[in-house]
Amino acid sequence: MMKHAIETKLDIEQVWEALRSIPDPEFGINIVDLGLIYSVECRDADVSVVMTLTTPTCPSGSWIYEGTKEALKGLPGVGEVSVSMVFDPAWNTAMLSQEARRQLGWKDEP
Amino acid sequence: MSGGWLAVQGRLPLAFMGLGLAWLVAGTLMLLAVPALLALPHAHPHVVALTHAWVLGFFVTVACGAVYQLVPVALGTTLANERYGWWHFWLHALGVPGMVGSFWLWNLKLLGHFGFAVAIGIVLFTINTCQTVRRSGRRNLVAWSVAASGVWLLTTVLMGLLLAANRHWLFLPVDPIFLLRAHAHLGLVGFFVALLQGVSFQLIPMFTLGEMREWRCASIGFCISQAGLVVLAPALVLHHGLLSTLGAAAVAVGITCSVWAMVRALGTRKKRALDPGVRLFLFGGVGVWIAAVAGAVLVAPWTAGGSAAGGYNAMVYAIIGIGGGLLPCIAGMMCKIVPFLTWMRAYGPHVGRGRTPSAGALTLPRVERVGLALQAVALVPLVIGAWTLSDLWLKVGILTLAAGVVLFAADMLGVMRHLWRPQIETPVPVRAAK
Repeated sequence: MMKHAIETKLDIEQVWEALRSIPDPEFGINIVDLGLIYSVECRDADVSVVMTLTTPTCPSGSWIYEGTKEALKGLPGVGEVSVSMVFDPAWNTAMLSQEARRQLGWKDEP
Repeated sequence: MSGGWLAVQGRLPLAFMGLGLAWLVAGTLMLLAVPALLALPHAHPHVVALTHAWVLGFFVTVACGAVYQLVPVALGTTLANERYGWWHFWLHALGVPGMVGSFWLWNLKLLGHFGFAVAIGIVLFTINTCQTVRRSGRRNLVAWSVAASGVWLLTTVLMGLLLAANRHWLFLPVDPIFLLRAHAHLGLVGFFVALLQGVSFQLIPMFTLGEMREWRCASIGFCISQAGLVVLAPALVLHHGLLSTLGAAAVAVGITCSVWAMVRALGTRKKRALDPGVRLFLFGGVGVWIAAVAGAVLVAPWTAGGSAAGGYNAMVYAIIGIGGGLLPCIAGMMCKIVPFLTWMRAYGPHVGRGRTPSAGALTLPRVERVGLALQAVALVPLVIGAWTLSDLWLKVGILTLAAGVVLFAADMLGVMRHLWRPQIETPVPVRAAK
């Protein structure tokens, strides 16, 4: 799934920045670079995020999900926050950003 | 997911990890107090007490904690019964010290009482793991290995009770040494190796972002090892040389298949640099394989018998298997699980509210590396000392091991300190909207 963003009033960069503040505890890589964020939509002050986990049984998944909501609710001027967790399509390593690959020491190109 | 469930998550496995750590220190203190224990015959009551302090106190405690944490993750479900888990914890926490003390004093009646308490705990553990497997609906290698390891652990404990009862009442005309060997191999191969041959293939690819491509090879390896154990255990009781060799060889072949499957899985990993815990765990896997091959050679009828220097020595085999196989596997497991569970409890609730460290950042990397390395290095003087019955080499080995255990325990306690003193950094202020 391609990441996409629909922006109206809320600064989309603020949303991405807030999401980048959330690390995965196992790899120490933020959830954006890890490829866990499938889409971000901003309509007026409302923000809607679709995300996934590296595996549906990720033991820290609940905290990452709750933390994502908390981080977005803390944005100045934000209205309704909606975070949806999906597992279709399933996460795979092709979704890792170049920065994440660098941190993992993965040299191969996608 | 409810907040209440999140709040209690990880408490049970962490309790087992803390208890296991205490046993690691206690077992090391026993060795420091009486280094000559490793030069005694393996059936000596003090050696049996030491073995139970390490195996039942440290290894089984940590492995059970790991099962309570990792098996629901690996099988995509939740633990069937948390209350059974706590009952198991308290029975184990009270029963094992009593067992170790009873062995040391050679009080078989007392041993029976404490052993019964431990057995009840293991019954609850086995029911819990089997129910967890059943509710997961999975019938793959991981599920079978978890169920099998639980059943083998229960069989081991029941056989241990039978052994103690037979020493007291002598109702079975079997040499207790033969029963002791079967009891030990049921535990080591049945519980630990079966668990490693299954759960590792789910977790190591998860930790290293790799892919498991050799499920067939791993499954065949598991089945061959299981079949080997079914032959080996009664053959050891009956002291049947050829069948014991066949059983031990099958176990070794099965582990070889598992090692090959793991090597293939590691080749696909995206996380190139392995964590110290994963590295040590894999080192331990190789140690288990070496011990299995050594065991098959030692049990063969044509191998020189006796326990004299240069000949067959059960202590050398035990040190290779336990010190070179199980210790690195279990210590490596702790290096992954303890920081993660601590993170879950100390930092999970702060995600999104402040900057939280990664689980790996809770450790002291240099202390951890040196501690684990010393534990591995200690194997060499310990094996030399046990083989040549040299007090000097045994003391060097035990001191090296103790130094490694001190650093390892300091690192683990440093991690657990975050449970009471989490270090939350102030969040970076998000810039105002344009």
